[in-house]
Amino acid sequence: MTEDNLVIYEEEIEKIDTNLARMLKGAEAKCALLVDKDGHLITRQGFTHSLDTTALAALLAGSFASTKEIARLVGESEFSVLFHQGKKDHIHMSLVGDRSILAVIFDDRTTIGMVRLYAKESATELGKIFAMLKDRSSAGSPGLTDEFAASAGDKLDDIFQD
Amino acid sequence: MVSINYATREVTCKIVYYGPGLSGKTTNLIYVHKKVPATSKGKMISLATEADRTLYFDFLPINIGTINGFAAKFQLYTVPGQVYYNATRKLVLRGADGLVFVADSQVEKMDENIESLTNLRENLEEYGYNIDEIPIVIQYNKRDLPGALPLEELNAKLNTRGWKSFEAEAVNGGGVFDTLKMIIKLVLEKAKNTRTTTTSAARTAASPQTAASAAGASVPPAAGTPVSPPASVGTRQEAGAPAEPAPIREPAYQAKPKPRPDDTSAKVAAPSFEQNVPPDEAPVTAPLQPASMADISDSGAAAPERPVAEEVEKPDSSMPRPFPGSTGRIARRERRITVSDFQPAARDEDLSALRSRLSNDTDQLDNAAISSLPSPSMAPSERVVKKKRNFFKRLLGIK
Repeated sequence: MTEDNLVIYEEEIEKIDTNLARMLKGAEAKCALLVDKDGHLITRQGFTHSLDTTALAALLAGSFASTKEIARLVGESEFSVLFHQGKKDHIHMSLVGDRSILAVIFDDRTTIGMVRLYAKESATELGKIFAMLKDRSSAGSPGLTDEFAASAGDKLDDIFQD
Repeated sequence: MVSINYATREVTCKIVYYGPGLSGKTTNLIYVHKKVPATSKGKMISLATEADRTLYFDFLPINIGTINGFAAKFQLYTVPGQVYYNATRKLVLRGADGLVFVADSQVEKMDENIESLTNLRENLEEYGYNIDEIPIVIQYNKRDLPGALPLEELNAKLNTRGWKSFEAEAVNGGGVFDTLKMIIKLVLEKAKNTRTTTTSAARTAASPQTAASAAGASVPPAAGTPVSPPASVGTRQEAGAPAEPAPIREPAYQAKPKPRPDDTSAKVAAPSFEQNVPPDEAPVTAPLQPASMADISDSGAAAPERPVAEEVEKPDSSMPRPFPGSTGRIARRERRITVSDFQPAARDEDLSALRSRLSNDTDQLDNAAISSLPSPSMAPSERVVKKKRNFFKRLLGIK
């Protein structure tokens, strides 16, 4: 693959989480998910206990990816903001940096304008964190070890039994 | 690319099942979903048409357990195989760490297999990936069907790059796990080679773990595991969760009750305000309680004036107005009293001054009353108004 592995450390996650928590408080939204464009969940904040965040992350990324293709067909490079409106809950998605998506789930206790305002502010700050992360990543980071692959092989035999 | 999250202690890889339509990609995932223990799998999501053909992708997250303190998670995706879904098929390929090419072994499907393989190479190239670098396993599915081509022929036509290949009957599960195990191994090996930098990077919480795994030869694998939580896809209990400050999760919902103290204080204040209202009204109503004319006339001349003036300023529109200048039955009674009460006093005063004052008063009262009338239907006729005015003029000798 051409891209490096995405490696995120605790201190970065803490920064991101603090940022997301502040955004949630300001916008009075329910929860926020930070998702990689490939569908990996990076972090989440707020009331996510009742949500299948793994599946949600994959679907949000898929939704964003298909919208990107739509954008391309109408002559845009990418739609930076996406909004799904439901009866009670709504989702606001916005691009963070060049490879992450910030999804904010909110209900009628707040407004789309508030969410948009705070999400935009948050995305700018998160973009800076990711830019820092990218620089660090290209400088070199610890990867998976031989032992990890070997142990995984043993685990596979246990789980995948016909 | 592989995602390594040190905060949640997760390693996540993306594996994509590729191949022509109806070759059995979704069937592979369904079998894995059926056989993997519930603790090791998440919910399978299928974005399919009504005819159960994959429209966008199928998604199945599996968790093979904790290795060196990290939960190893694999996200299995399938692509839509049909030719005209190439746009969405390409999207699913993004960020794939490994591929399983599911080929249909039937002789009549050989062209479709070759076309799909060509399409795979093209789509990978569009993302800038090299088909020779990405881990790929080829699965010859539907081996149980009578029209299946011999393995040698399939290998010769499809597996020109020397990928690992497996025979499979996805419906019955034959070869499904062998294929999956192999691709997972290849993906992890590839990930290891992508980033084999030394683990001595001084990272706060990550360093003990990575150091332990780096010295894997001397340290037993179990050394890392006590630190790590029992991770599963269904119930996510990451190491990061307890470390999260408690107030962070709450504020969105805690922010709401804040206005309540203000509301209650407002409610407390409101009754006190309401309680203040009756005392204000009390002086107005209290002198009116005695119905007899004698009592009222005894109460003095100065007292009635104020209530009349107040009544004119604050007309009660809900009450019927018998004539202009009156704002209700109470005011009318007041008015009658004041007129009779003024008579003796007027004799002592300068008559002209009283006349001018009364004529001004009647004009003002008329104007105020007419402007505050609720509706035209409630207004007395012009004739009645004129008659009343003339009565007063005649009474006081005003021309």
